[in-house]
Amino acid sequence: MQKVSDSKLGRTITSLVPDRNNRSGAFTAFWRRFASNELAVFSLLGLILLITVAIFGPVLYPQSVIKPDYAAINAGPSPDHWLGTDNLGRDTLARLMFGLRVSLLVAVYVEVLNITLGVTLGLLAGYFGGLIDVLVTRLADILFAFPGLLLAILIAAAFGAPVSERFGGVGRLLLVAGSISLVSWSLMARYVRGQTLVLREQEFVLAARSLGASDLHIITQHILPNVAGLIIVSSTLDVASVVVNEAVLSLLGLGIQPPDPSIGKMINEAIPFLESSPLQVFLPSLALMLIVLTVSFLGDGLRDALDPSTLR
Amino acid sequence: MIKLILKRALSLPFVILSITFITFIVGYLAPGDPILTMMGTRRDPALYASLRHLYGLDLPWYQQYMNYLTGLLHGNLGMSFRFQERSVLDLLGSGMSVSFTLGLTALALSLTVGVPVGILAALRQNSALDRGSMSVMLALYSIPSFVLIPIFQWINYQLYRFGLPSLPVAGWGTPQHWVLPVLVLSAASVGYIARLTRSTMLEVLRQDYIRTAYAKGLTNRQVHWTHAFRNAMLPIVTLVGPSIAFLVTGAFVVENLFAIPGIGFVSIQAISRRDYPVIQGTTLILALAVVFMNLVTDILYGVLDPRVRVEG
Repeated sequence: MQKVSDSKLGRTITSLVPDRNNRSGAFTAFWRRFASNELAVFSLLGLILLITVAIFGPVLYPQSVIKPDYAAINAGPSPDHWLGTDNLGRDTLARLMFGLRVSLLVAVYVEVLNITLGVTLGLLAGYFGGLIDVLVTRLADILFAFPGLLLAILIAAAFGAPVSERFGGVGRLLLVAGSISLVSWSLMARYVRGQTLVLREQEFVLAARSLGASDLHIITQHILPNVAGLIIVSSTLDVASVVVNEAVLSLLGLGIQPPDPSIGKMINEAIPFLESSPLQVFLPSLALMLIVLTVSFLGDGLRDALDPSTLR
Repeated sequence: MIKLILKRALSLPFVILSITFITFIVGYLAPGDPILTMMGTRRDPALYASLRHLYGLDLPWYQQYMNYLTGLLHGNLGMSFRFQERSVLDLLGSGMSVSFTLGLTALALSLTVGVPVGILAALRQNSALDRGSMSVMLALYSIPSFVLIPIFQWINYQLYRFGLPSLPVAGWGTPQHWVLPVLVLSAASVGYIARLTRSTMLEVLRQDYIRTAYAKGLTNRQVHWTHAFRNAMLPIVTLVGPSIAFLVTGAFVVENLFAIPGIGFVSIQAISRRDYPVIQGTTLILALAVVFMNLVTDILYGVLDPRVRVEG
């Protein structure tokens, strides 16, 4: 049997298949459902604001992230230091905005890794089954035996100091992201695999195959668009736990290294001075909770707005 | 029943072997020479060679791994790189009982609070009690422990300042020291268990046999406790596994912020000394504990549900 992967034929096939019909109408319907959820829209705006602050805040605000002001140690808010200073006299707002940037950057790196690794392997395992399926699910099972952050802590213990010495702060940030995604990609792979198992038995896949579409064409044009909603929702919701995990690692001294600011590190450094300057602990905590809440509500809103039947 | 236990137990060696291999190979691949670090500024080739030989680091990796496994079978987790006369087991020994007592107390508390709250909320669905308790549970679930701890500590400082009865905010020993760490450690899993218990219970209450039970003229109490609750218990048992993952990550944070001498605290100290075998031992112990707890859950599920027993 000859396999036809002609792009022209590919277009005819897609036009016959129901899942590609009125794509723009589907988006309008999705947007209408999403817009009716006030909390989700509000969270989306909040998240956009947080991202804007993370990008432009450190540029616009004049205070240095690492330079200490010896005249103001553990000081309260003032015109010079809008949110006060920490125990070394470093400006809290500047550090907070930079920490926000670090948190969001780690989240972006982790989700990029999760999506490239988890989605690819999940699609391949679900679509082809057989040996690759066994390998992927086995690997996911093994990684799941390490609860929570245990594997990330192990990686930080073994590679953390050498990576920091050789590649500096950026290298450490990538190591943190990599070690967090080491376990979480397998969750993404599980979701995608489960969905692919269902989708590959559907009539439109059979129709595409009988018209001679290649495996690659079926996966990218028919399966992937149908798991896209699942991928978007689960990676949005996952951002909340990534941000918390990065903070935990930095708080334990295993993540972002001083003097680079990170929200977790800021909390840890300020706890000994909790009694005299509680603001230095509660402000980073508040910033962290803002990210976690906006991302969670946004994820819930996206899940409700996308076709609920395709999600779990 | 015995068949079920045997079947579950037989899949264990593969998982355990993989866990030992991962913890071993991460340490093996770690850059840097632990012996050089251990010797500090001294440069004595003969001593270097003999130390390398003593720790078995001059062997190829597969022989090192075999030695590591043989050691494990004898209950030997290896030698500390930093304290040359002390074994890892010796360093972790006392911490183990502290950590497991803390973890199991928190687990027991989460189950005794989470399950009744979830059931009560489900029985009074959409009431003020349901909505109120579920909002509190969502907050407990989503507020990270390192945000919760400073809040508790700050409240205690204020209580102390005004001469009111307060709890110790750090340390370990008397029963008063237990209160805050156990509360914080169980917070996330209480929220998780309560919310999922509620949805499980609601699911069960929608089943046909519940309607049948009402149609037979049974009282609310009989339907709720003999028909609904007993069936809802099954999925609730499976919640224990994921809650342990919360507890493990939580234990690292709680032990470090409250200065509790558990294995989480000891291994973070060891990481800052670059004493890899200690964190290797901790990872192994925690991963094995989780695998063992999952096995117990699986078997318990079989005991509670006859269908699982038959299918095995």
